[in-house]
Amino acid sequence: MTTTAVAFDQVSKAYGEVRAVDGLTLSLHPGQTVALLGPNGAGKSTTLDLLLGLKQADSGSVRLFGTSPREAIVAGRVGAMLQSGGLMDEVTVAEIVGLACDLHPKPYKASDVLARAGITQIADRKVNKLSGGQAQRVRFALATAGDSDLIVLDEPTTGMDVTTRQAFWATMREQADQGRTVLFATHYLEEADAVADRVLVLHRGRLLADGTAAEIKAKAGARRISFDLYETDIDETALRALPFLARLDVSGTTVRIQSSDADATVHALYGLGLYPRNLEVAGLGLEQAFVAITEAEEARTS
Amino acid sequence: MNSLIKLELNRALRNRKFLFFSVLYPSLLFLLIAGSADGTDKVDGTGLTLPTYMMVSMASFGALTAVLMGNSERIAKERESGWVRQLRLTTLPGRGYVLAKTASAAVVSLPSIIVVFVVAAAVKDVRLDAWQWLALTGAIWAGSLVFAALGVAIGYLASGDAVRPITMITYFGLSILGGLWMPTTTFPSWLQDIAKWVPTHAYAALGQAIEQSQAPHAKDIAVLAVFFALFTGGAAWLYRKDTLKA
Repeated sequence: MTTTAVAFDQVSKAYGEVRAVDGLTLSLHPGQTVALLGPNGAGKSTTLDLLLGLKQADSGSVRLFGTSPREAIVAGRVGAMLQSGGLMDEVTVAEIVGLACDLHPKPYKASDVLARAGITQIADRKVNKLSGGQAQRVRFALATAGDSDLIVLDEPTTGMDVTTRQAFWATMREQADQGRTVLFATHYLEEADAVADRVLVLHRGRLLADGTAAEIKAKAGARRISFDLYETDIDETALRALPFLARLDVSGTTVRIQSSDADATVHALYGLGLYPRNLEVAGLGLEQAFVAITEAEEARTS
Repeated sequence: MNSLIKLELNRALRNRKFLFFSVLYPSLLFLLIAGSADGTDKVDGTGLTLPTYMMVSMASFGALTAVLMGNSERIAKERESGWVRQLRLTTLPGRGYVLAKTASAAVVSLPSIIVVFVVAAAVKDVRLDAWQWLALTGAIWAGSLVFAALGVAIGYLASGDAVRPITMITYFGLSILGGLWMPTTTFPSWLQDIAKWVPTHAYAALGQAIEQSQAPHAKDIAVLAVFFALFTGGAAWLYRKDTLKA
């Protein structure tokens, strides 16, 4: 068994002038649960389409388990759930799941697939009569109809309620623990924070950050410091020169700082002879880290 | 792929509206048109009685309905909904989807042909030799593939709200111009000149030749072959374009 599940090498894809994916290089390994994050238009969907062979790259190579995406799919190594992927109308849930099992080279029993997706009760329901959350669970069943090594999920929990969402991620964790690679795109950052052991931040088709959620937070400036100063004391140049400063934001007399070493920054702050009031130091959530990273990149490139 | 054909078929057989229009409607139309005609009325220039002539027209019409109406709209809809994309993530070969659609349409078109024959024989006393019945069934069934290809092409060409009107215009245009509803001999001569080149006209002419105990005319076969090549070529081209766009 090869050790690389997914390998992108200098992959680019443009639509006219817009570079949706721009020289993307990454590799994913078995047993990893990987979150793909990025603002709208960052190239998440295009990346997944390229990965699954639904689109062809303009340049670079995409390999799944050392073969082309199509070959990997035909070998039954990939299960995928597309964002609002259409379903066949006017057939029952059991029929469409049965079809997915029939088409998979290493299928599970259809009744097990239904049970794991939590749709046994609605097996006789017509697919076009389902609620959004139910349809999403049917899509999940299609993605897990067989023993695939890589599971790709595009915005998988959209339309699910909290309980279903938790059950869903528990199932996904199980899959990863069995040595499968789980890759999911999401805009729920708390999901990525809680579930993924690796986070990829995509921005304008390029990889901005790649690491654990903790590493991403550290990269963004791990801590947020906020305090008030007397108006006469506000000197942006001096504040900007503080050590370990990742980001500075002054509004009125309130100063907000992101710092990769809050202790050193605060120490230096006192060193300037300033008397910060209402001093607060807090950790950064992944969401803020994500915003910080993409905004910094936005500022750098514009 | 067989499982997809099976599922497509199950779905088609559950769809009462579709079954009515493709299986029963041609027979009802046959009774309406041929019902009052007595068995000795001849259609100009064919030597066939009206019921015999209309039997082939309506069987062809029924097959046309089954293969054209079902496929074009479904393909367009499933392309848009993303079901086609989802299928591309399975082991199903690329053309498997189109083949499954065509195969299930062909299964529905067979009863629509046979029901017209049974009604014509039972109610209007149409009598032919055994080989003629078999040859008719085979020719009309095989000929319907030309229009199945057209249905696929329309499904990949049009999208959303456009697909239904385009299908309807094509469907009625082909039915009327091809003389499936009334013999083209009743048309003004300029329209007859056009109708001669319409694929449905050649399609019905296959069956009429068999009823006249003749081999089908080479020209009709050639017209159908050219249209078949055109429609499948178009469908294949549009399919590839759609796949790249995804």
